[in-house]
Amino acid sequence: MDDKIITFVGLLRQNGVRVSFAESMDTFRALDLVGLGTRLAVKDVMRATLVKRAVDVPTYNQLFDLYFSGVGDIVKGAEQRSMDALDLDPADYQQLLEDLAKFLAEQGIETSDLTEALLKQDSARLERLLREAANRSNVQRIERSFQEGQFSQGMQQSMGVGDVARELQQISDALGAGEPDPRRQQMGRFVDRRLQELQEMIRRLVRGELEQRDVGQRDAARMQQLAEKSFYYLSEDEIRRMKEAVTKLALRLKNVLAVKRRTARKGKFDVKDTLRKNLQYGGVPFKIRFDHRKRIKPQVVVLCDVSDSVRNVSRFMLQFVYSLQDLYSKVRSFIFVSDIGEITRLFEESEIHQAIDQAIRGNVINVYAHSDFGKAFRMFHRDHLAAITRHTTVIILGDARNNYNLPHEWVLKEIKQRAKQLIWLNPENRMTWGFGDSEMDRYLPYCDVVEECRNLNQLYRVVDRLVIG
Amino acid sequence: MSKSFASIEDVIERFAGQHYICNRTIATVVYLASHLRKPILVEGPAGVGKTELAKVLAGALGHELIRLQCYEGLDESKALYEWEYAKQLLYTQILKDKIGEVIAGAPGLKEAVERVASQDDVFFSERFIVPRPLLRAITSPEPLVLLIDEIDKADTEFEAFLLEVLSDFQVSVPELGTIKAKHIPLVVLTSNNAREMSDALKRRCLHLYIDFPEKEQERAIILLKVPGVAERLADEVVAAVQAIRKLDLKKAPSISETLDWTRALTLLNVDTLDSTTVDDTLSVILKYEGDIRKAQQELKDHVAKARAKAAAPTTAEPEKDVLH
Repeated sequence: MDDKIITFVGLLRQNGVRVSFAESMDTFRALDLVGLGTRLAVKDVMRATLVKRAVDVPTYNQLFDLYFSGVGDIVKGAEQRSMDALDLDPADYQQLLEDLAKFLAEQGIETSDLTEALLKQDSARLERLLREAANRSNVQRIERSFQEGQFSQGMQQSMGVGDVARELQQISDALGAGEPDPRRQQMGRFVDRRLQELQEMIRRLVRGELEQRDVGQRDAARMQQLAEKSFYYLSEDEIRRMKEAVTKLALRLKNVLAVKRRTARKGKFDVKDTLRKNLQYGGVPFKIRFDHRKRIKPQVVVLCDVSDSVRNVSRFMLQFVYSLQDLYSKVRSFIFVSDIGEITRLFEESEIHQAIDQAIRGNVINVYAHSDFGKAFRMFHRDHLAAITRHTTVIILGDARNNYNLPHEWVLKEIKQRAKQLIWLNPENRMTWGFGDSEMDRYLPYCDVVEECRNLNQLYRVVDRLVIG
Repeated sequence: MSKSFASIEDVIERFAGQHYICNRTIATVVYLASHLRKPILVEGPAGVGKTELAKVLAGALGHELIRLQCYEGLDESKALYEWEYAKQLLYTQILKDKIGEVIAGAPGLKEAVERVASQDDVFFSERFIVPRPLLRAITSPEPLVLLIDEIDKADTEFEAFLLEVLSDFQVSVPELGTIKAKHIPLVVLTSNNAREMSDALKRRCLHLYIDFPEKEQERAIILLKVPGVAERLADEVVAAVQAIRKLDLKKAPSISETLDWTRALTLLNVDTLDSTTVDDTLSVILKYEGDIRKAQQELKDHVAKARAKAAAPTTAEPEKDVLH
């Protein structure tokens, strides 16, 4: 059992669950205490000692079931199938097994270990033989589904299925010899059946082993790909996953910021205040005072292009802005296509997905117009320029495809003069900036930071910068 | 009562004696913790009885419960100990004459300082220390349960400090030396997962995740905690709450809120849920306007269906699964 647990711990690690050496020691001590009585108790004990993150629990449950009941369940399943196939209830089935054993003894047929286990339905021995064979043929090395056949083959050879087949054939022949007898025919059918079951058991065992490898890895690999995939080409399911990822990113940032703010809170030693506060102790400095300078939280103004061409990106950007609202003292969000509209209120009052849906469905501005950055900027200048102070970070998200309208880049110049920094995120490939109706080259000189922001990893980088800046 | 738990069943039984219904998973972890002397880290949504678990544990073992509530900015002086400066100062003032005696006849300043220095232990002794929860837990002559509540609210530095305490149950006060625990307390840490705890802390703890209870369990809890509730009402409340939890809400109703709701309904002499009572009282379990609106819609369908079923003669007994 010890070996089994150690292997299981290894398996957990392989599947991305972090388990330390100390924790696996705990498991052994805990199992000593509780005993290996019931499966459920063992499962609870190992879960409490090995799995410490809620996200890992599903992986653990799946693996535990696969690993600890794998072979046993397979053997039991095979027994059930045999019974069903012969249409017998357990008592009759037992009788059949005994009759068959008697017959073999009468005939003086010698059988190999495996054949005997099969015909006597000796589950424990069968389980052991299957496990041993699995170890010998290194089934645990299986990685891809196309290897299933190869490893099944290997196990069959290692167990000597060929010999078993010959032996079973002999017995079957012996049963068929002489005058036809219904009982013997039934036994014959059973013997034939067992060979199929053996092959089926091997197949299932290999499949189970493959699934164990796969549980966590599959997810991790997929997430990795997702981070690099451009926002333009996401499927429905990927959008859902991406939403989760963005939320997590926001949460991580909140933590980072919170820690930073806390360390910043411990100010410098304040002589004046210390003296004043300690007058009550006769000027003996019992209480040391520190200078708590106010740290100004950055203010953010977001201008988000929601025209068709950048719809997907805007979605994530808006989601992100929404999640970060409470990080900054003030976030004002605007969306534009050719007109500009403020959605700050909408974001404050509605639930996140609803708010984003309303924003990009055209409840605020006409989203089916042709993009006109120049006009939108001019409107912003006219109505909302006061929103920008020297603490403001302005983020513009758009592809700068202006349909050959006037670019009005002077607005950006003024914004830059007033704001702390101006960041432009462009979801287009850097190579295409300035070609066709892209006015990126005109806008570029007025921005402090210009970033390509086409996938999650790039968004990560931008955000890191935002928080530090 | 102060004997430690004999078996997992014993845990369940003794907890039931404290009016706490727990499932086997919880009991297993508690049993392990009490025997391995390891802290339990309890995670789960708000209001599933994480804090209650510690209280009940203390009750079941007959131990005292010491509680350390964590919050942002909590530091060692609030959690471990603090010197009572004012008292020290007061004593020096009162004892001025005595100090005068001690240094009387000293030939020089240096000699006087030496003499005072030889006495300064007096002022840094246990008399002038204010023990905070952690130090109290460590110095206690009796075994006890230490509850560190909402550890996720505390700062990471405090977590690191806590790690030290939890690993050897000793603290060093520079002026007094190292104080070692007489009994290793049973520690329960709770977290609402506002942030992920560090791996180092998790490694030292047994991990327990308490989720919202299953239908049967929640019903049992209501019947236990709200005496005199009609069984039928309990069924309906549980069915409704379980359905509400499945919705996408800002804050799902917790067990304590379910209990509040049941109590409120009992107080209003309601014996079966209908849409008006639900509309009127929903604010007991849901705390956001948007959530209430969503739940009202869901429950309207639910009540209508339940009524249709109750009206049909074949299924007079209200099914618990009508919601889905």
